[in-house]
Amino acid sequence: MKQPKEKQTGKKTAIAYLVSVPSLILIFLIVVFPILYTGYISLTNMNTYHWFSFDIIGFRNYERALLVFDSGFLSALLMTVVWTAVNMALQLLIAFLISNLLNVKHLPLRNVYKTILMFPWAMPGYVSILLWKTGMFNSQFGLLTQWMEDLSGLTIRWLQNDVSAFICCTVVNLWLALPFMIMIMDGGLKSIDRSYYESATLDGAGPIRQAISITLPCLKPIIGPSVMITLFTTFKQFDVIYLMTQQVGSQTGAHIHTIITYAYENAFITNNYGYSSAISIMIFVLLILFAQVMNRKKKGANT
Amino acid sequence: MRKILCILMVGILFLLTGCSGNTGNQGKKNGPVTITIWHDKEDAVIAVLQDAVKALEPDIMVAFEKKTGMTESLKLVGNDKNAAPDMYFFAHDKIGVYAEMGILTPITELLGENALAGYVPLTVKGATYKGRLYQVPLYFETLLFMYNKKYIAEKDVPATTEQLYAYMQRKTKYGHYGFVEQHSTPYYAAGWIHGFGGSLINDEGAPCLDSAEAKAALAYHKKFVDYMPGETEYATVNTLFTEGMAHATIAGPWFVPTVRAAGINVGIAPMPIVDETGLPLAPYSGIQGLHVLKVQAAQKRDAIVKVLETLMQPEVSVKLAKVSGCAPAVESCYTLEEVTADPLIMAMKQTAETAIPMPNIPEMDVMWTVAGNLLVNVNMSGQDIEPASAEAQKKALELIEAMK
Repeated sequence: MKQPKEKQTGKKTAIAYLVSVPSLILIFLIVVFPILYTGYISLTNMNTYHWFSFDIIGFRNYERALLVFDSGFLSALLMTVVWTAVNMALQLLIAFLISNLLNVKHLPLRNVYKTILMFPWAMPGYVSILLWKTGMFNSQFGLLTQWMEDLSGLTIRWLQNDVSAFICCTVVNLWLALPFMIMIMDGGLKSIDRSYYESATLDGAGPIRQAISITLPCLKPIIGPSVMITLFTTFKQFDVIYLMTQQVGSQTGAHIHTIITYAYENAFITNNYGYSSAISIMIFVLLILFAQVMNRKKKGANT
Repeated sequence: MRKILCILMVGILFLLTGCSGNTGNQGKKNGPVTITIWHDKEDAVIAVLQDAVKALEPDIMVAFEKKTGMTESLKLVGNDKNAAPDMYFFAHDKIGVYAEMGILTPITELLGENALAGYVPLTVKGATYKGRLYQVPLYFETLLFMYNKKYIAEKDVPATTEQLYAYMQRKTKYGHYGFVEQHSTPYYAAGWIHGFGGSLINDEGAPCLDSAEAKAALAYHKKFVDYMPGETEYATVNTLFTEGMAHATIAGPWFVPTVRAAGINVGIAPMPIVDETGLPLAPYSGIQGLHVLKVQAAQKRDAIVKVLETLMQPEVSVKLAKVSGCAPAVESCYTLEEVTADPLIMAMKQTAETAIPMPNIPEMDVMWTVAGNLLVNVNMSGQDIEPASAEAQKKALELIEAMK
């Protein structure tokens, strides 16, 4: 006997959910639970003095956390926006150029270039950052410093000044982030139907016109999610800036702070988990708002 | 399909139950008792301890477990009897944090009030928090004044800071440095502040960054920094010395094997005396020792006491000093020839007369960052000492308040 169509659909839906249960549990444990637990801890007085016997204290941590959101935090927020914008713009531009070069017809040793370009991705970020800091920017032994000394006779302390430290951090961040973006764009370029370009060539369109009218519109939906991921990664960047300029014991004199490094220096070192959690939740809310704004812009651009 | 689902669900349940498993660390009512000691030390040090506690087998088995991120792990599981170790082997500077968290047992409750009679006073001071002893010290380390004998003869080693300054002025040229140190790192710069009678923080947990002594020390220290490299980090400073480009440095005993391996003929000298105050540079000292977790102390008391008593033997301290390059915590060791014949250990013993144990109060956790920022602002960013000190003091007070 044949089952009614609605019943069949319902059964399929139930099976779909059932099959998804293991991954949903994992997502809950790895993503949702830590957020909820952080929210819970932010309402308590968990600190060194009340480590195992903490009490719920309401929103008092949030009241105190607002003090962190002072003028220093606002300048850190501005710096974060500039950092994100500069890095994203450069990443997209450089990745676009390199992935186009990788797709040049009859390019010899294409796979060798790709492997080399993926290399920074294979290295642990911590190692890469410290290698750059010591191997390139160090004022005694850095390669860049020695080149500059040979060329101009001047010893440049790359990481001591805010502007040059910002540029150095950007270079390192690009080194770390470009492989991902190149890989995505390379894949995107390969998925564009070659007949579009053939037609455009027949119509007399040059390479730049083809890039603007064919490549970019076709790439946009493919790289959209990757751009969003990279945007957030860059926005909440900590390790590049911290390890390059602020690590305790090897500070350089530069004072560039993103919201995360600022929060770390003004809350997380206090061992006050309630207070630090409140700040984490507030930054989380900021990121959610940022995501909403970005999504709206994206929707607006699509319509 | 159902089969696959069942297997998946069972797999997840298995994983979840697996995550909450215990370490098998609890003492058994019958049979041998296992004592677990977490540590972060090199193998040679642990081999000495392991060898010493072999005498307690088979009744007591001691397992040494090397832990990365031990301080954070202890915060998470320090009161969980299924996951916490029985003891941990670490420096004394976290005692205050753990004592306030309530995870440590005072060792006097296990070994009696005179547990540390006959120990070097510096180590007893480091092991004490709010009048109670929380550590059995095994050895201690202090920073040392090291010089390259190729450049500086023993009789010409600067005895005062002004002599050192004059030497730096003469020799800092052509890529060479008369003297280098991690000038903007609090652990190193604290020696200068102590040399002026100041401190980063007092015993009551109040920061002292804007005290007259601290400001005088910062101003005086700055003129030395002008003859040092721009970097303050460990790698740069130490490489300059091992490459023979720096003639003298201040570093810990852990650096000596590296220096010797680099072929440097290294000499150890007393810390220079500050001309203005007549006090020597007094560096921080770290005291390495055993701490007992409260959650395990009750159920394994006898076994823990036996392990501690075994490891407190002077001969263990001497062996440890030899492999770690540090100084024994037990005073009687300094009558033995094998100790007195070691110039490195004796230099540390001498420095211990004036060295100051790293503060073990919880408030110190924020001071490393705040004092580091102050040093960087003054030494590297060229800020005026007066406003920079006032700002750092304000920030330290805010952060200490935020701890509570």
